Amino acid sequence: MSIPFIAVPLILASIMPLIGKISKRFLPDLLTNTAFLFLLLYSVFAGRQTLLNGADVWKAWWFGEALNITLVLDGFSALMLLTISLIGLSVALYSINYMEHYEAKANFYALLLIMIAGMNGLVLSNDVFTLYLFLEVAAIASYGLIAFGLQRDQLEASLKYLLLSSVATAFILLSIAIVFGLTGSLQLDKIAEGISASNGLPVAGFCMALFIMGFGLKAAIVPFHAWLPDAHSSAPAPISAMLSGVLIKVSGIYALTRVCFTIFGMQGGLGQVLMLLGIVSILIGAIQALGQNDIKRMLAFSSISQIGYIILGLGVGTPLGILGAMFHLFNHAIAKGLLFLNSGALEQATGTRELDRMGGLARKMPITAGTSVVGSLAIAGVPPLNGFWSKLLILLALVEAKYYGLALIAALAGILTLWYYLIIQRRAFFGKLNETWNHITEAPFWMSFSVLLLATACVLIGLLFPAVILDWIKPAADTFAAGISQTIGLLGF
Amino acid sequence: MHIFLLLGLVLCSILAVFFSDLLKAAISLAGASVFLALVLFEMGATYAGVFEISVVAGLITVLFIATISLTEKKEDAKHNKRMRLLFPLVFIGFILIDVLVMSQYLVKLSSLAGPAETGVFGQVFWGGRTFDLVAQIAIILAGVFCVLALFRKRSGDE
Amino acid sequence: MSDFWTVNIFFVGLLFLIGLYCLLAMKSLIKLLIGLELLAKGIMLALIATGFEKNTILTAQSLAISFIVVEVSVLATAMAMIINMYRHTKSLDIKNLTNLKG
Repeated sequence: MSIPFIAVPLILASIMPLIGKISKRFLPDLLTNTAFLFLLLYSVFAGRQTLLNGADVWKAWWFGEALNITLVLDGFSALMLLTISLIGLSVALYSINYMEHYEAKANFYALLLIMIAGMNGLVLSNDVFTLYLFLEVAAIASYGLIAFGLQRDQLEASLKYLLLSSVATAFILLSIAIVFGLTGSLQLDKIAEGISASNGLPVAGFCMALFIMGFGLKAAIVPFHAWLPDAHSSAPAPISAMLSGVLIKVSGIYALTRVCFTIFGMQGGLGQVLMLLGIVSILIGAIQALGQNDIKRMLAFSSISQIGYIILGLGVGTPLGILGAMFHLFNHAIAKGLLFLNSGALEQATGTRELDRMGGLARKMPITAGTSVVGSLAIAGVPPLNGFWSKLLILLALVEAKYYGLALIAALAGILTLWYYLIIQRRAFFGKLNETWNHITEAPFWMSFSVLLLATACVLIGLLFPAVILDWIKPAADTFAAGISQTIGLLGF
Repeated sequence: MHIFLLLGLVLCSILAVFFSDLLKAAISLAGASVFLALVLFEMGATYAGVFEISVVAGLITVLFIATISLTEKKEDAKHNKRMRLLFPLVFIGFILIDVLVMSQYLVKLSSLAGPAETGVFGQVFWGGRTFDLVAQIAIILAGVFCVLALFRKRSGDE
Repeated sequence: MSDFWTVNIFFVGLLFLIGLYCLLAMKSLIKLLIGLELLAKGIMLALIATGFEKNTILTAQSLAISFIVVEVSVLATAMAMIINMYRHTKSLDIKNLTNLKG
């Protein structure tokens, strides 16, 4: 029964304008947050079901007649649904206070719900074209959300994102058309059989390249990352959290993994290409983050770097690597969402995003400072927070597969990550209190509540990581078991 | 016959890119849509052809003309002479490379025969691709809400 | 795959080239949208040509119609953004897109 994941946000979004007419603030807030809470609880429930019963394939019925809607919920989908719902709930709670001065809250919530519905539909679909359509749903909603403030910077960032994203769309669709031509089917499993049976290997390689270019742009892998710093720094803070934490992972990494691993398996080139792109992303993201003065741009470049870690783990192809990559996906979503929400609280309190002008704010905004420290340490990989375990898994996987050089580079980049995060903490929160900020106060209630929620999640997942891995991450990694056994054979374990 | 329609499509596209006057460019784009629709008709895709004419050559051209009228100014963007002269070279170069690559790889391509298609278009669309329709509803909703958000009245414009 | 399909895919490649050239080389915001449109035409041709080749023209038409809906939505959003941008800067020049450092 996976249809509520798509149906609930979509139906609520379509009646949101009416609700907005009745009550400008209270009812949209209440209904949206209730919907997100429901989605979170339902995704936990669905995850438990998947753990116990294996993958769930659900076909829709309408008054006794079978509709042709097939929703597939396996381990990977369950993990993504949990991530989407958790970050979505935090963002919705945060928006209760933050979106006050943007007006048109009902419109904002409607777009947010449509984006969630699109992402949920993406992870639940079995058909590559439907996957593309839901990707487009989430993308169109995100264009509107980035430009929501109607200021010049936001419009410019959103237009650049729209143009680049549409080119990526064109590549993805061309590849889908050619794959359809090669195999005659659009269902992922049938395509996999078809490709392994056909002999059109160069053309299959061309299709794979097109998919990597298209989905790679959505995931902001270097060299397709040019849109991300502008879009994530100009967007309203809850949207930055949503984009950086969830959208690039769902429409980029999930789609890339699902399509490429299922269709093409782990044949030779794919793993190498992903590892190369991953290590380049890690380095370029980390180096460019060091030179930034704007806190949100620094966080955006850090996202590029961490996505590089995830792609690196996926590229290795061993069970440990994929396990580490998916765990890091989950952890980064929580921690990065937390950091972006905090940067929004800073921006709202001080009116600026530049680190030079901030200073010593920890005294005035203790909750923001504390949760920010937790989030930074989590991403940088400091024990016992969650990021440490996922990065460790990826490094172990690299060492196990004998890529010692890459492991060394990844470890050094981890130190770089810690360095620039400490810069943010020192410049923004600690040190002498800048005189201009004597009058500011802590962030409003709901904003603090949502960041405390995410920070608690970071700590708990870090402490309870064996349970988390066994219950959630391992089923996700196991969906690629067939491809993995191929890689293990190649590496000679 | 088919090849002439395709050539007409490419010609109209090139015109649409290189006309300086935006209105003429939009009209050439509509012309390209008509050629594409004729190509689709000839391949038997009648429903797609009808959609192409009514939506792309109709609705989207109207949207273009509306946007152009709302934003036109007397002195417009200067066009880059160098890029225009460079285009024929790029074009011919692409054709040569593409013909070489494709004649090598594609002629020997084998493909699986898909399942035979039964039924009429309505059955295939509503019955076979039902999930796509849910996605289409979501896309239309997303587009509507985006446009509403971008055109809303702000109290106290800056 | 027959020669007919190959010829069609060749023209798809041409349309992609023209569209990408328009996106890279043109200086007006609306010309960028024309570039997007040309990419979309290429996609339509590719989808229908593949469907014709595999004798599954009805499924291919469904895909093409869904794609047209996506195209309209994206274009409407883009035009709304361009009109808003025009209100800010009173110009359609692409130089307005280079304000942020990227």
